[in-house]
Amino acid sequence: MSSNRPTAWLVPACQLGVLALFAGLWEVSSRSGWVNPELLPPLSVVLLILWKLLRDPAFLGDLRVTTAETIVAYLIVAPTGLLLGFFIGERRWLYRATNPILQLLMATPKMIFLPIFILAFGIGFLEKVMFASMVGIFATVIAGIAAVQSVPQGLMRVATAFGATRLQIYTRIYFPAMIPIIIGGMRLGLIFTIFGVLLSEMYAASRGVGQTLFSWGEQTRLAELLAGVLLVVAITVTLDELMRFGERRSRRRRVEA
Amino acid sequence: MPALASSRDATPAAISVNGVHKKFDSGATSVQALTDVSFTVATGQFVTVVGPSDCGKSTLLQVLAGLTPASAGTVLLDGEPVTAPRPDKIGIVFQEAWLLPWKTALENVEFPLSLRGVRKAEQRPRAEAQLALVGLADAAGRYPHELSGGMKQRVAIARGLVQQPSVLLMDEPFASLDEQSRTRMGADLLGIWERTGRTIVFITHGLTEAIYLADVILVMASKPGRIVDRIPVPLARPRTVDMIGSEVFGKLRNRIWHLIAD
Repeated sequence: MSSNRPTAWLVPACQLGVLALFAGLWEVSSRSGWVNPELLPPLSVVLLILWKLLRDPAFLGDLRVTTAETIVAYLIVAPTGLLLGFFIGERRWLYRATNPILQLLMATPKMIFLPIFILAFGIGFLEKVMFASMVGIFATVIAGIAAVQSVPQGLMRVATAFGATRLQIYTRIYFPAMIPIIIGGMRLGLIFTIFGVLLSEMYAASRGVGQTLFSWGEQTRLAELLAGVLLVVAITVTLDELMRFGERRSRRRRVEA
Repeated sequence: MPALASSRDATPAAISVNGVHKKFDSGATSVQALTDVSFTVATGQFVTVVGPSDCGKSTLLQVLAGLTPASAGTVLLDGEPVTAPRPDKIGIVFQEAWLLPWKTALENVEFPLSLRGVRKAEQRPRAEAQLALVGLADAAGRYPHELSGGMKQRVAIARGLVQQPSVLLMDEPFASLDEQSRTRMGADLLGIWERTGRTIVFITHGLTEAIYLADVILVMASKPGRIVDRIPVPLARPRTVDMIGSEVFGKLRNRIWHLIAD
């Protein structure tokens, strides 16, 4: 933290260094022929293709489909999961009853359910949204439970002693106290939702970024494939970092009561 | 300020506790936490409740505060029965400060006012006055994690006093502080008490603290939790730390010790 401020620049410098080294190695190993350029096209070529892809109407259409699926799924995942988590977390008996089931389902690889979703919903938009919601919702349910249980009983005792109503305890104590865990859970929920959408697109779909990446792979169009991968990585990392930033900011003042 | 504590006994009772019993039932077992507790606290009096850790003194405070209903008996505050929290009349300070970590010291003091819908313009000066009273005018903008344990408890005291309650209930408020801070906080609390004229009920397991602060000490024993003696403290006001070494103080300390230990 602030105690080692003089060397604070070292961390981002190292991170940038590693990134530059990686990019350099990629470029050089491909150009010099250490690695077969057919299998690993140079980074510069991949970036150029990415630039073209971002102007290609077909690819942009895929991106739109995937984005729409993700947004709709996430609009289901975030509120439903959190509210369900609050509901369970507030009731000890319900928590004790459901926790083992949640843990079990959390540990189950969700992709084994994909064929069932396809049988039930086809391979269109609805199936993608339903499957991604199922994949994403566990993280938010568990975050909702953890958020409720993280609120110190002492704060509620104080609020009650000072005459807070039930509603005030929710809005003035519960909600602000839970924000960091809520944001953290929403972040995980988003990552899992994106994962669910891409996975179901790769498995069976007529459109979408996942489907396109998969078919490029099958046709060994590696430059396109790598460009698409880079783009997906860049988007998810950016979204994740934005939410992590919000989480850190909200947590900063909650170090300790 | 009267020189001797006993002269305060003449003023009308702020708190009157009559035959309070408290039983906790948890399934098959039931615990008798309080048995036939009766006492009065005069307006403006400083009463300490001292006893071993399982004598029900915290339960007593919960009942006084209206946070837990008594199984039998009544608690009267200025003649009115207490059955629910009375934030307008009762301020509370707990063992932990329990400040809202996302609010500054000043906002924490304003918190009880904001719960009751006091106008923002009115909250600020009232909270500032209380922070100044506890000696933290300079720390108004700091967050709880930037405050020491003693400072947090001062904020909690300011929060307890901000609604100008007639009674301040304190549940081992200095128990988690180091000895130096505890002694200093005790002395400062007496100063605050003398300036505000509040009635204070102070729960502690420390004999020295109990004697040093009190007009009257209520001694509790456990199994079942009950009051075994009510001892007026014959020490002059203002109290000084030197009094702790006096013969009167030592004798009183021994007397309470035997009451609790026997």
